Amino acid sequence: MPVEFLLNRFEEAGDRPAIVWQDRVCNYRTLLERTRYWQEWLERGDIDRGTVTVLEGDFSPEAVALLLALTSHECIIVPMTTAVELKKKEFIETADGEVSFVLDQEDRAEVRKLSGRGQHELYDELRERRHAGLVLFSSGTTGKSKAILHDMVRLLKKYHVERHDFTTLAFLLFDHIAGMDTLFYCLSNRSCLVTLQDRSPDAVCRAIEKYRVEVLPVSATFLNLLIYSEAYKRHDLSSLKYIAYGSEVMLQSTLDRCAQLFPGVTILQKYGTTEVGTLRSKSRSSDSLWVKLGGEGFETRVVDGMLQIKAHSAMMGYLNAPSPFTEDGWFITGDTVEQDGEYYRIHGRACDIINVGGEKVFPTEVEDFIQTLDNVAEVVVYGEPNPITGNIVCADISLAAHEDAAECIRRIKRACAANMQPWKVPVKVNIVDRIQLSERFKKMRRPDDYAQVKG
Amino acid sequence: MAADSRITNALFSAIDELNDIRPQDQQLEKSLDTVLFGQDGKLDSIGLVSFIVAAEQKIAQETGRSITLADERAMSQKNSPFRTVGTLADYCSMLLAEGE
Repeated sequence: MPVEFLLNRFEEAGDRPAIVWQDRVCNYRTLLERTRYWQEWLERGDIDRGTVTVLEGDFSPEAVALLLALTSHECIIVPMTTAVELKKKEFIETADGEVSFVLDQEDRAEVRKLSGRGQHELYDELRERRHAGLVLFSSGTTGKSKAILHDMVRLLKKYHVERHDFTTLAFLLFDHIAGMDTLFYCLSNRSCLVTLQDRSPDAVCRAIEKYRVEVLPVSATFLNLLIYSEAYKRHDLSSLKYIAYGSEVMLQSTLDRCAQLFPGVTILQKYGTTEVGTLRSKSRSSDSLWVKLGGEGFETRVVDGMLQIKAHSAMMGYLNAPSPFTEDGWFITGDTVEQDGEYYRIHGRACDIINVGGEKVFPTEVEDFIQTLDNVAEVVVYGEPNPITGNIVCADISLAAHEDAAECIRRIKRACAANMQPWKVPVKVNIVDRIQLSERFKKMRRPDDYAQVKG
Repeated sequence: MAADSRITNALFSAIDELNDIRPQDQQLEKSLDTVLFGQDGKLDSIGLVSFIVAAEQKIAQETGRSITLADERAMSQKNSPFRTVGTLADYCSMLLAEGE
């Protein structure tokens, strides 16, 4: 039973708080009861083992109980939060979901039958192993999201080792690998997970103060927002022991400011990808961007300046893309790094992906949409550094026929805002005479490209 | 510090630009007291970034001078310049005065 080790720990933890959800505390005994309830329900119900099951919810007690029960029922679980509402249909189709559990505001679950058939050769492999699966989505190079299939039993293996018990904030999302890591780390150490309805700096600080949160796992962008909002001045954050940041490149200036504002707090860098999971990591110091990566089940190496990872818990594969592993099983992260002995410094994506506050934007995806609008001849989308969100999306557009530039920019921005997730909408739109092309007639997105041509 | 009318015009015009792509129930009021970011702020991170970029462009149009509003200096201010339209106007005035 893959989750039995967790349930044994829940039993020992008894009355200790497991999850704070909507300001209500659910203790480990209740979480265990709810998990057992769903396990029994699944045993006598009509959901077969190995069913591809969408779990629409957040870190609520019932969603967590269902996640564990579905894992022991060997289901292939597709967690989904409201953050991906716009992509829900595409995700369910890609995963070929058969059944969905939808959690409402009162944390009641409703079961819905879906039209998918749960077919994929990787699913068959998993069913043969009699293991549960986990499907998570990340962005694909063409802008289409990649569906990543993990073997849940392998993913859970690293949580068998007991570690420290800290009250932790569930800032990262339920349908992201880092959010899952936060959840299982907490559950395996009988810790309290404090969940959020609102991820604004004030709401986060209020939760830290109220529940004496000790660990805050966040994105680098959130730390910028925390500084700008001054929310830390309005709340007592003295319970904090660790701030863990990841998912994008951190600016040294932000890190320095955090180290200065929170002198008693250890600031740690985390690193992981949806494909290989989250590595164990150790920052050289709170104000250092150098980090040691690894832990049991992970190996790292640098090839051509890019980080590669070999992981026991790596995904089985993409459901909708070719394998990204080398022949000898290493995952090419695409992140450029510097190495100093055991330590790495991560410099960011090697390719053109624009990282806006930890959300990845593929230029082609935005270009594809703008290109469909009236009077657009050519468009090139690129990132520009920004101290708040790391980068912003910019678009240069050439027009087919003359049009008033200001009116045209308004029209294009309005269309983007109505059809795209907010972080993908170009903040700067420039109307240009023509789009710069390289010698090979490729669009030039990056300042480096321009420099190469000019040089 | 009294806000220069060119700066106020530029910031209000940046608000117009932002309102143009925001839902009806999230419109920003053109007032120096409008809270932008932080407690009870009307903007999220993407909204704040869009507003700052628009404000920089409008200020360049109004004054013919280019200033950078979001940088390490803004971050190291004791009080955030992005609290309200008024505090941002003061911060713009200070930056413009320095360049003269």
